[in-house]
Amino acid sequence: MHKTGPHGQHISQRYDAELEDLRASVLKMGGMVEQQGRAALESLVKGDEELARSVAKSDKQVNEIELKISDQCTDILARRQPTAGDLRLVIAIIRIVANLERIGDEAAKIGRMAKKLVDGNERQSYHSEPRHLGEGVLEMLKGALDAFARRDTDTAMEVIARDLQIDEEFKALNRLLMTHMMEHPNRLKNMLRVNSCARAFERIGDHATNLCEEVIYLVAGRDVRHLSLAEIRERLQN
Amino acid sequence: MIAVEAVNSSSTAAGDTQMDRVKQEQASGVADRSTKRPLDIRDHGDTGAYKTIGTPFVKDAKMTARGVNVFYGDKQAIFDVSLDIGRNEVIAMIGPSGCGKSTFLRTLNRMNDIIPGCSVKGDFSLDGDNIYGEDQDTVLLRARVGMVFQKPNPFPKSIYENVAYGPRIHGLAHNKAEMDEIVEDSLRRASLFTEVKDQLDKPGTGLSGGQQQRLCIARAIAVNPEVILMDEPCSALDPIATARIEELIDELKENYTIAIVTHSMQQAARVSQRTAYFHLGKLIEVGNTKQVFTMPRHELTENYITGRFG
Repeated sequence: MHKTGPHGQHISQRYDAELEDLRASVLKMGGMVEQQGRAALESLVKGDEELARSVAKSDKQVNEIELKISDQCTDILARRQPTAGDLRLVIAIIRIVANLERIGDEAAKIGRMAKKLVDGNERQSYHSEPRHLGEGVLEMLKGALDAFARRDTDTAMEVIARDLQIDEEFKALNRLLMTHMMEHPNRLKNMLRVNSCARAFERIGDHATNLCEEVIYLVAGRDVRHLSLAEIRERLQN
Repeated sequence: MIAVEAVNSSSTAAGDTQMDRVKQEQASGVADRSTKRPLDIRDHGDTGAYKTIGTPFVKDAKMTARGVNVFYGDKQAIFDVSLDIGRNEVIAMIGPSGCGKSTFLRTLNRMNDIIPGCSVKGDFSLDGDNIYGEDQDTVLLRARVGMVFQKPNPFPKSIYENVAYGPRIHGLAHNKAEMDEIVEDSLRRASLFTEVKDQLDKPGTGLSGGQQQRLCIARAIAVNPEVILMDEPCSALDPIATARIEELIDELKENYTIAIVTHSMQQAARVSQRTAYFHLGKLIEVGNTKQVFTMPRHELTENYITGRFG
């Protein structure tokens, strides 16, 4: 679904360059947090301490690019007074980078947990329990970033729908880990760490959903935050 | 940088990250923007039937215009425009030069009548009265539908006489005291009184540009109009004088209906409740100002207000 959006070039080529630069920065930031999330999952399931350490520290670059993008947005708002599709792009990006930054934080948190799990000196299979959940969430994130890059509300809707499955999967994983905890009370601390990682992935899924809601705002001009899937479909139709 | 590089190298196996995908897309020439030529000033130039998008009609309109066509000699300037001006609202008319917005504005108080070769077709009403009816007195009409022009044009008379002129010819004051009251009240409503109260006998042309424009607004409201038409009232003013006029427009809409033509999109966005977008003599889109400036429905509107042509 493609409704009216920016078509063609501004009279001011410099304005075009600024908006393009802004979009590129967001895609770059998206790429960074996606890699962070992937590395976080890998470090967790493989128990890779080196990788876990680098993920735990990698949110610094993400924070830096967040500040740069915020600055670009402020600059465009102040000097260009964007309207219509340009305005929605800037507004959506302000909210998108906040979500991306939170995703980076969650990934760093997983990295820290993964490091402690390795330190905990227990190479147990439950480290890899969140693998499937994590992969699902990273797929969501990939879909959300693609939806933004292509201004594609269909993909955005698919990602939003997927979050419901992720929530179910997280609950199931929760129950599984609790069973483990009851069976092996001596591993309680590490189990809780694994559970925190699962929780962090689930949060990343929520942020990916938020990204998709911003894509829908950007493309269709509808604010669909805090709505159910059915309500979003309805808003998009009229 | 080190940490990100570490992440980079470790995740090459996973490969397909956002930046890679974007690079691939760029390499394969898949752009997210549509490849067809965007609509611009050249488009929508055919003279056939078309339909205005959005909400040109309102309940309880102050003025209505239906099926308006305007010609300057052989050249048609307005094509089948229908639009309501809502009661106590500010409606902004925007569009690129030559789009017909000023011409349309001038049909609303028959200012085009004095232009040789100009003919106006269509149905116009003001509170149900046919303003192009044979028995319509245009002087009376222009008292009900006042106008403020682009360049402040005070009469070469005193400030007092500028405001008193209209009420005098329409016989609105019976004595000096009543006239004094009308002049003071009009100047107050135009937010000018405190600045000029000690120099009412000085020439209006001696005021600053912004003050002159407020004097012209005072002159327009002195005859108790119902509608005020403004044709780019701030284009000759500095930002502070502009802000004062905009503030004034906001106050005046309590008692008057206002239609404003402006080249400043920000001004249209600031002062109006509804916005009408004209293009090559056609009324393309009408909607609530907030909707038009955040989510216009027609591509031409979008391209114009985002500065992609004009």
